[in-house]
Amino acid sequence: MRNRNPFLYPIIALVIAGASAGLAGAQMQQPAITTHTAADAAPAEEMVPVTTSSPDARHDYELGLLYHEDLLFVDKGLVSLRKAVKADPHFALGHATLAYFTTDPVEERHEYALAQKDIASASPDERLLIRWMDGAKNGGLVPAIAAMNDLLAKYPNDKRLANMASEWLCANQAAYEHGEKILKNVLQSDPNYFPALNNLAYCYALSGRPSLAPPLMDQYVVALPAQPNPQDSYGEIMRMLGDYPAALDHYGKALQIDPTFNTSQVGIASTYALMGDQERARAEYLKAISGTKERPTKLDYRILWAMTFYRENQIERGNREMTKLVAEAHAADLPVEEAEIYRNMALFSTDPHHALKSLDAARVVLTENHEISQGSREIELANILQTRAYIAERAGMADAAQKALKPLSAMAQTSRSNIVQQAYHSANGAVLMTQEKYDAAIAELMEDSQNPLSLQLLADAQSKAGQAADAQKTLSALAAINDERVETAFAVPQARAALKQNSGTGAEAGGH
Amino acid sequence: MRKRLLTLGLLLIGVVSAVYATDFAVIVHSSNPVRATSLVELGKIFKGKTHMWSNERSITIVLRDPDSPGMKFVIEKILGGTVEEGKTILNEPSRKTTVPVVFASSDEEVIKIVESSPGAIGIVDVYNITSGVKVIKIDDKQPFDPGYVLKGR
Repeated sequence: MRNRNPFLYPIIALVIAGASAGLAGAQMQQPAITTHTAADAAPAEEMVPVTTSSPDARHDYELGLLYHEDLLFVDKGLVSLRKAVKADPHFALGHATLAYFTTDPVEERHEYALAQKDIASASPDERLLIRWMDGAKNGGLVPAIAAMNDLLAKYPNDKRLANMASEWLCANQAAYEHGEKILKNVLQSDPNYFPALNNLAYCYALSGRPSLAPPLMDQYVVALPAQPNPQDSYGEIMRMLGDYPAALDHYGKALQIDPTFNTSQVGIASTYALMGDQERARAEYLKAISGTKERPTKLDYRILWAMTFYRENQIERGNREMTKLVAEAHAADLPVEEAEIYRNMALFSTDPHHALKSLDAARVVLTENHEISQGSREIELANILQTRAYIAERAGMADAAQKALKPLSAMAQTSRSNIVQQAYHSANGAVLMTQEKYDAAIAELMEDSQNPLSLQLLADAQSKAGQAADAQKTLSALAAINDERVETAFAVPQARAALKQNSGTGAEAGGH
Repeated sequence: MRKRLLTLGLLLIGVVSAVYATDFAVIVHSSNPVRATSLVELGKIFKGKTHMWSNERSITIVLRDPDSPGMKFVIEKILGGTVEEGKTILNEPSRKTTVPVVFASSDEEVIKIVESSPGAIGIVDVYNITSGVKVIKIDDKQPFDPGYVLKGR
């Protein structure tokens, strides 16, 4: 069956209305959304076909996309997609979509294999979509982009396709101009297409222009008054802008609409962590942890919980909690998380020798026999080596920095990953700093201008090169970061303290 | 929220105003047997010194306006001088008969012309490519490969 079931559109509309009403409980009444979802906005022939022999699989697939892409109930979306491929085990597009969205490396690999096995049963345009999703996540970017643009040209009214493509361009490729262009086209034909409002706001925020996002958030909230995600997004945007009370307010509103909307619970917890109230942050993280069933997500939240001890300088307690999480990540076969925990421990270690040992342990995890894609392994290894070069530079251990750079340099010769390339430039910048070649270091560190560790080194290099005004500017940019990354938790408080001390006399970033 | 396709430590967050960087793809007609060339050879084509493909088709160059974003970098990289010198080379009167240069108003137009002209060679932002054209390697590298020579800023 290639064509969409015409009865599906009312079903989807009812599902949205039902989801909204059910999730809102008795507190809010809202109209059914019948015109602003991708599924019911365009006739079947204007959207990429979906081939499955099972009506149940088709229904669950649509529901999965509705939850995951439109309403951003990510876990529910994954559950529905899993049901879809269970209902039709030969549903190639279903398998590929699940592989694209899952964060579980075991599931990703398994589902990609199944998608490839049954690809002959997919229509030519579905195969293009599968090629894009596979290439986008696994590094075959040139054919992936060609496939994406072919589909966008053939299905100009498939708003969900446009939204997915632009999300990938903005969030993963830093191709903001292209993502914005697609989203603006979508919004021109349907100014209230809410997923595009959300993604355009994030595209602005990710490209360093968060102040352009609030007007879009206002529209998003109006378009979906009974849904939690608009408030959740608004909360995150306000937090990026450093307005913590407004962030808490919006996250709170999201939870009023739907108490199970767990990302808002994490948003509240992380906002308290950024505000310095770690006890409250921990209490809020615990609620979020109990509210998710996805293995990697649960562990990610537990890492954030444990990080609060580091944030309040309880290093030993933080280490104890992280050590427990290492064992759990190992038992759960989540190697990226396990390596990340070691990297957390390294960054917050007060002894650089211990820090480097933690990073050794992180590298060992990646050499073990785990279900992990080559791309994920490579990216995590690059992060470890970059962190190693950073720590070595801060501790004045020039040899150790050089040793970290060597394998990263080899990786950068063959890897197409932006993250690997940026990690290489950062590590090279760190090594150049140990050699007191500050001008060369500045050029390298500027290649990784979104990483707090690189920004800290950059401010220091600029200061040592006599570029006091630039150093102050870099330090201010670093101090303005408000996100959940471990690099932020480590470097931003130091930058804020340094700015207070400097008072315009030249920047000197904090050290390890 | 936005969904996380990356792991926790790898969230991309804009810090300073983003610098727009892209790779430029060299494209030819899908029937063209060429799969790769060198930057030096590309320079010869742009200078009108090489004017035929191996299949004996005459070469036509299709580019965006030299003053459009990114084209300054492309022209300087391929022709080796300043953009003004490059413009002079590309606009020489003799070019009307030897390796003519067609200037298009957008990447979409460049692709459209290359798609329908068996001897054409064009350069576009890699994020605009379609499967209607063939992307060729330059110095054994394709866009996104480390060390790819047409990585612009």
